Amino acid sequence: MQNSFRKAELWGIGIGAILILGILPALNAFVPETSVFHLSDFTINLYGKYLSYAVLAMSVDLLWGYTGLLSLGQCLFFALGGYAFGMHLMLLIGKLGQYHSDLPDFMVFLGYPALPLHWVPFRSFWFSVAAVVLVPGLVALVFGFLAFRSRIRGVYFSILTQALTYGACLMFFRNDFTFGGNNGLTDFKFILGYDIRSAATQRCLFIATGILLILTYVFCRWLTMTKFGKIQRAVRDSENRVLFSGYAAANFKLFVFVVSAIIASLAGALYVPQVGIINPSEMAPDKSLEAVVWVAVGGRGTLIGPIVGAIVVNALKSWATRAFPDLWLIILGAMFAIVVLFMPKGLVGLPKQLYSLFQRSSTFLKGISAQRGNEAQLPVKETSTSPGDVIRTGRAD
Amino acid sequence: MPRLKFFCLAAMLAPLLLHAETSPDSSIRESIARAVTSSAADQDSILDQIVVSSGISKTEHDLLTSWSNGEIYLYTDAGGQVIPIILEQSDTTDKTRAFRVDTGQLLKDSNGAAIMIDPTDATSSDVNAILRKKIQRTLDLLSLSDSNPEVRRGMAFKLGSSQKAENLPLLETRLKLETDPGVKKTLYEAEALIQLADTAHPERQVAAADSLAKLNCIGALDALRSLSESKSASAETKLAATKATQAIQSYLAVVNFFGTIFHGVSLGSILLVSALGLAITFGLMGVINMAHGEMIAVGAYTTYVVENVFRDGLPLSPLGIRIVLPGMHLTGWPFQTYFLFAIPLSFLVAALAGLALERLVIRFLYRRVLESLLATWGVSLIMQQLFRLVFGANNVQVNSPSWLLGNFTISDVVLGYNRIFVIVFAVLIVVGTWLLLTKTPLGLFIRAVIQDRDMAACMGVPTQRVNMLTFAFGSGLAGLAGAFLSQIGNVGPSLGQSYIIDSFMTVVVGGVGSIAGTVVSALGIGCSDQVLQQVLGSPVLGKIMVLTAIILFLQWKPGGFFPTRSRTLDS
Repeated sequence: MQNSFRKAELWGIGIGAILILGILPALNAFVPETSVFHLSDFTINLYGKYLSYAVLAMSVDLLWGYTGLLSLGQCLFFALGGYAFGMHLMLLIGKLGQYHSDLPDFMVFLGYPALPLHWVPFRSFWFSVAAVVLVPGLVALVFGFLAFRSRIRGVYFSILTQALTYGACLMFFRNDFTFGGNNGLTDFKFILGYDIRSAATQRCLFIATGILLILTYVFCRWLTMTKFGKIQRAVRDSENRVLFSGYAAANFKLFVFVVSAIIASLAGALYVPQVGIINPSEMAPDKSLEAVVWVAVGGRGTLIGPIVGAIVVNALKSWATRAFPDLWLIILGAMFAIVVLFMPKGLVGLPKQLYSLFQRSSTFLKGISAQRGNEAQLPVKETSTSPGDVIRTGRAD
Repeated sequence: MPRLKFFCLAAMLAPLLLHAETSPDSSIRESIARAVTSSAADQDSILDQIVVSSGISKTEHDLLTSWSNGEIYLYTDAGGQVIPIILEQSDTTDKTRAFRVDTGQLLKDSNGAAIMIDPTDATSSDVNAILRKKIQRTLDLLSLSDSNPEVRRGMAFKLGSSQKAENLPLLETRLKLETDPGVKKTLYEAEALIQLADTAHPERQVAAADSLAKLNCIGALDALRSLSESKSASAETKLAATKATQAIQSYLAVVNFFGTIFHGVSLGSILLVSALGLAITFGLMGVINMAHGEMIAVGAYTTYVVENVFRDGLPLSPLGIRIVLPGMHLTGWPFQTYFLFAIPLSFLVAALAGLALERLVIRFLYRRVLESLLATWGVSLIMQQLFRLVFGANNVQVNSPSWLLGNFTISDVVLGYNRIFVIVFAVLIVVGTWLLLTKTPLGLFIRAVIQDRDMAACMGVPTQRVNMLTFAFGSGLAGLAGAFLSQIGNVGPSLGQSYIIDSFMTVVVGGVGSIAGTVVSALGIGCSDQVLQQVLGSPVLGKIMVLTAIILFLQWKPGGFFPTRSRTLDS
C-alpha cells in the first residue's frame, strides 16, 4: 500500500468531482428537456440516493474491508442520522401540515399535548447537524466500548450488531417512542428556507451528497495511508499479533467503529431530504446486510469498490424491481452467494482475478506440455496468496 | 339471521322429536303442551313442576327454548281442539310438516296423512316478556342440575354474578345435592357473591368478602372493587372488600406468573429445538447459517402441505405454473393424525434442504465464518422469495388437530395441550440429540471433528460425510421447530426472520457447541422474554430489554454460559 496519493488516483478523484459536481447537475439544469443529454429531476434524485448509499457503503468498508469488523448494524447509524435531520425538517413544516398545528402531524394524530422536550432543540439547524454527528457517535461509542472491551469479535460482533439494530428497529416502530412509529417522519416542506421539492434544491442536495462522497473518500484514503491505517489492517489480519506487539487493539477498533458510524450517519442525513421520508424499516437488519452486499459486490478492502458496488447493485435493483418484481430478491440473493463464493474481491478485483486465472491455466498448460516432454516433471500449481489478502484462505477439506 | 337460527333449531329438533316417540318422559312434553295453552297462573305451577321433576331430556330442554323464542305454534283441528305444534322447517314460505309438542309425533289428519302448515299464517303461541323470563329462569334452574359439571359451573357462576338475592335459595338447594368439588367451589363463590350485594346486612357482606378471599375467586374481583369504592357501603364493609380485593389480586398475580412461566417455557422449547440445530452446525463446522430461519419455515410449510393433502389437496401456482396437490379428503380421526405424519416429514424435508445447501454452498466456506454468514443470507433471501412465489405472500393458516386444541386448568392456570406437547417433544429431542452425540458412532465422529478437525481426518474420520450429515441433522431440527411453530403461531414467508435473531442469541448466550448451554439459555431467554412482556406490558419493550440484557451478559461471560475450553487464542 503506497503512502501517498498516486497520480492516477488524483486524476480519478478530479474527474469524478467534475462529473458529480459539474456535469451531471448541469445536464439537469441547463440542457433543455427535449435533448437526449437531459437528466430528468427524477434521475438526478435517484443518483443522489445512490451517492448517499455509496457513502454508507464506504463506512461499511472502512469497518469490514480495512478492520475486519463485519457490522450488520451499520444502517442503524444511517437511520439515526436520517432521523436526527428528519426531526429538524419535520419542525420546519410549521403550520403547513395536514392539521395546521405547530406540532408535526403524527403528534397531533397521536394526541401529544406539546412538543416533547427532546424535540425542541431540533428547531435549530446547527443543533440538528451536531446531533447527526454526536448521537450515532455516542451510540457507537457505548456499544463499541462494551463489545470490544469483552473481546467480542468475528461473527459474535456481527450477530450482536444485528441484534442492536433489530432492537432499535423494534423501538422506533413503537408509536410512543415519539419518532412517528410505523410511518416515521415524512411530508417535509422546507430545508434552510428553500422548498425541498423544487428541482434546484434537489440539485443542490445532489451536489452536497457528491461533496460528502468525495470528502469521505479522501478522508478514508488518508486514514488508511497513515500509521493508524496500518495498525487497522494489522488488526484485521492478525489481531493477536497486534495485541502482543503492545497495541491496544480494542481502542483502535473502537475509534474506527465510531468514525464509520458518523460517516454512515452523515450519509443518512443527506439521504432523507432527497427521499422525503425516514421510517424504522431503514434500520431493519436486512438493510444493513444489503449494504454489506454492495461492498462485497464492489470489492472490499478497496475504497473504490464500495462506491462501484453501491451504484451497480442499486441501479440493478431499480431496474430489476420494475422488470422482474417477483424475482428481484432471488437475483439479489444469488448474486450475493455467487460473489461471496467465487469473487472474493468483487467487481473491482475481477480483472486481476481473471488475469491470474488465465495465468494459472497457461502455467498449467505449460506444465502439461512439459510433462509430455519429460514424464518425471510434475505441473506446478500456483496459489495466489498475498499478505494483504482480505480473506484468510480457508482450509476447505 | 333470526330465520336462519330458526331453521337450524328446527332442523336440530326434528330428529330428536322423532326419536322421542318412545321416550318414557312424555309427561314433561305433555306438561309443556298443557302449559302453552294454559293461563298464566297455571303456567307458573307447571313450570315449577318441571323444575322439580328429575331428569329432563335435551329434547324437552330445547322445547322450552323454542317456546321462549316463540317457535311453538297453535293448530286448531277439525274438532276445535287447540294443539301446540312445532314446524319441521320454518325458514321457507312453503308449506311444511309439523310435530305435536305433547307427543312428538307428526301432526296428522284423521286419514293419517301429514298436515301441511303454511308458516306465514300459522298462529304463534302467545309469549310475553314475563313468561319469557319465567321460562328462561326455568331453563337456568334446569342447567344447574345438568349432568355436565361444566354446565352446572357455568350456570352457578352466572347466577352468582347476577347478584340477585332471589337466586340464593336455589344455590343452597343445589349445594346440598352437589358432589363435584369444582362445582361446589363455584356454588360457594356464587353464594358469597350474592351475599356481597346484600346491603341490608353489612355483617353478611363482610363475611362474604372474607369467604371470597378464601376461595380466591377471580371472578369476584370487579364486584369487590366496586364495593370497596362505593359510597353507600359502611366502613367495615369497605375495609373487608379492600382486603379481599388485595388478597385476590395477589393470588391473581401468582396465577399470571405461573401462566407466563408456562408460556415462556413453551416458547423456550421451540427456541431450543431451533437453536440446538444452529448450535451444532456452528459448533461443528464453524459456519453461520443465516438460512436456518428459512429451514424453520420449510418445516412449517411442510406441515401446512401435509394438512392440506390430508384434507382436500392444495392448489399452488408458482410463477404462473399451476400445480394441484391431490387431497385424500379425510375427515374425523384419520385427518386428526396428520400432525403425526407432518412431524417426521418436516424433519426430512428440512434435512434434505439442508443437505442441498451444504453441498451447493457451505462446503466451500468451512472455517470462513463471515463469508458463510453472507452467502447463506443470500440463500435465505432466495428461499423467502420462493416461499412467496409458491405459497403466496400472506400468512397461511394451519389448523391444529383437535387433540392439541384443548387445555386443562390447575388452580386457575390454563395449560394448553399444544404447548404441553411442544415442551414434551422438545425434551425428547434434546435427549435424542444427546444420545446421538454421545452414544452413536456418528456422534463420536462429530465430537472428534468439533475438537480437532485435522486430527480427526488423520485418524480416518470421513469429515466430509460427517459435515454433510450434521448439517442435515441441524436443519432437520429447525424443520421440527417449524412444525411446532405452525401449531402455535402464523406461518408466513418471513417466519424464519422472526426467529433467526433469537436463535443466534440463544447460541451465543449458551456457548457455542454446548447442548447444556443451549438448553439453559433457550429456556432463560424464552422465560425472561415472556415475563418481561408481562411486567412491561408490551411485547416489544420486553424484547428490547432481553436484547440489552444479552449484550450486558456477554460483558460478564463473553463465551456464554458454557464456553468451550481451549488454549487457542482464536476460538
